[in-house]
Amino acid sequence: MAVKIINKTVTDFSLRVTRCFFVPTKTIHSNVALFQDNLDTSLTSIEVNRSPLPIISSRKLAFPPKFKVPRQVWVSNMDTVEEEKLGLIDLHPEVFADRPRMDIIHENVRWQQLYRHVSYAHTKMRYEVRGGGRKPRPQKGSGRSRHGSIRSPIWVGGGIVHGPRSPTSYFYMLGFNARLNGLRSTLSAKLAQDDLQVVDSLDIPTDDPKYLETLIEERGWGPSVLFVDDNDIMPLNITAASDGFGHFNLMPVYGLNVYSMLKHSTLVLTLAAVERIEERILFHLNRNDAAQAASKYRLDNF
Amino acid sequence: MTSLIGSMISSLGVALKYRSLIGTANQASKVVALFSPEWTTVRFRYHADKVAKGPVQRRYGYEEKLFRGGLLPRTAYPDKPLPMPVYRPKNSWNEKRALFGQNDYIDILGPSNEISKKTLHPAQLLYNVPSWLRGVKGNEYQILLRKRKFLQQKNFPLSSPTKWATLNVRIKKLYKYLNTKTKSPFWKHA
Repeated sequence: MAVKIINKTVTDFSLRVTRCFFVPTKTIHSNVALFQDNLDTSLTSIEVNRSPLPIISSRKLAFPPKFKVPRQVWVSNMDTVEEEKLGLIDLHPEVFADRPRMDIIHENVRWQQLYRHVSYAHTKMRYEVRGGGRKPRPQKGSGRSRHGSIRSPIWVGGGIVHGPRSPTSYFYMLGFNARLNGLRSTLSAKLAQDDLQVVDSLDIPTDDPKYLETLIEERGWGPSVLFVDDNDIMPLNITAASDGFGHFNLMPVYGLNVYSMLKHSTLVLTLAAVERIEERILFHLNRNDAAQAASKYRLDNF
Repeated sequence: MTSLIGSMISSLGVALKYRSLIGTANQASKVVALFSPEWTTVRFRYHADKVAKGPVQRRYGYEEKLFRGGLLPRTAYPDKPLPMPVYRPKNSWNEKRALFGQNDYIDILGPSNEISKKTLHPAQLLYNVPSWLRGVKGNEYQILLRKRKFLQQKNFPLSSPTKWATLNVRIKKLYKYLNTKTKSPFWKHA
C-alpha cells in the first residue's frame, strides 16, 4: 500500500502542511454523552491506542496527472462512534474527478438491468393449441360463418399470432470502455456529492448492530450504506452488526458496480479498496493492449 | 351601539371643525384616536367546515336521486371491497435486490489470472439463466437451435420426449418459414 506514515522527510511534509492544518493534534477518545443512553456502557469505554494524529498525510499516485488537480478526502476511523480524522489523502482525478456523465451512468444501469433479463412469457401458435382438427360446423347451410378450426387465431381460446415466444433473451454487452467510464463517472459523482467516505478499515470493536447504526447516524451517512473492502472475507464484527439490516451491505472491490453505488446513499471505501479501485481503473486506462481488451464481445471468447 | 359611536364621532368632527381653527391638527388626530378604538374583524371560514356541514337544505322532504359520492371508484355494495389487489409493497432491501448487479464489472475490477492473464467475464456469471442461454442473444430460431445443440448432449431426449419432439417440430417449422417465406438479409437492398 502506498500510504505513508508521517515520519517522512521534512521537505515533503512542508508541502503538505498547508493542506492538513485542520487536522486536530490530539486524540479525543471519549464518546458523546448523547449516545450513552442507547449504547451499552462497555461500548463507550473502548480504549484506542493510536499515535498522535494525523496518521495518514500522503499517498503516492500512480500515473501522476499532468493537468488535473488531485482530489483530497479525509480518512476517518470506524473504531469509535465519534468520527476521528486520521488524515488526508489524494485521490486520482482520472478516477474520482472525472466528468460525471449522466448519459453514461444511465446506459450502464440499463445494461445491468437488461443483460441478465430473460423473458419467459410464452404463447402458443394455432398448431400448438390442443384440438381444433375437426371442422366446427358444415361449410354451408347453417347460416353462420365459415370456419375450419376452433383454434384459429380469430377464435377465443385459439392460437396467438406474433405472440411472445419463450425464452426471449435481452442480453447485450455494453462496451468495455463504456463500462469503465461508467465506474469513473459514478465514483466521481459520489465524491462530488459528498457521498463517498474513506475509512482506514472496517474493524469495529463490537458486533452490536446498535453500534453500527449509531455510528452511521452520528456521521450523517446513509440511510443506506455500502461498505467496500479489498478483501472478500469481511471482519466478523461488521458482518454480524450489519447482518440484520437490509440497507447496510458489504461488498468486495470486484463486486462493486454502478447500480449498487447508486442504490446505496453512501459509499464507504476502505483505504485498501481505494488503492485497488484506482489501481484497476488506471491500469485499464493506460494499458498497451487497450484495443484488444475493449474488443467486441463474442460468445466463444471465453 | 355603532350608531351611538358614529354619532359621537360625527359630533366630534363638527367640534373639530371649530377646534382645528383653535388648536393644531396633531391634537385633533389624538382625540379621534381616543374615541375610535381600532377594530379588526376576524373571519374563520374553512372549506372543510362547509363540506362537513353538508349541502344547503333545499326542497325539504325531496329525496335526491343523483349519486353525489364523488368520482372515486365504488362497488354496488358499500360493504364490499373494490375488485382490485391490495397494495403490498415489496421489500426493496431483501438480499436479492440489495445486492443486485454485484460482480457485473468483475472483468474491470477483478484480479486477473496469474497464468492466463484473463479475468472472469460478467456474462459467465449469469447464474439466473440456463447455461445454454448465458450470454446469448438471438431470434427464436437461433435460440432454439442452440438449445437443441446443448440438450441433445444431455439426457433431455430420453427424459422428456414430448418436449424434445415439440422442440424439433418448432425448429423444422421455423426453418421452412425463414427459408421460403422471408427475404434473406443479403437481398434486402436488391
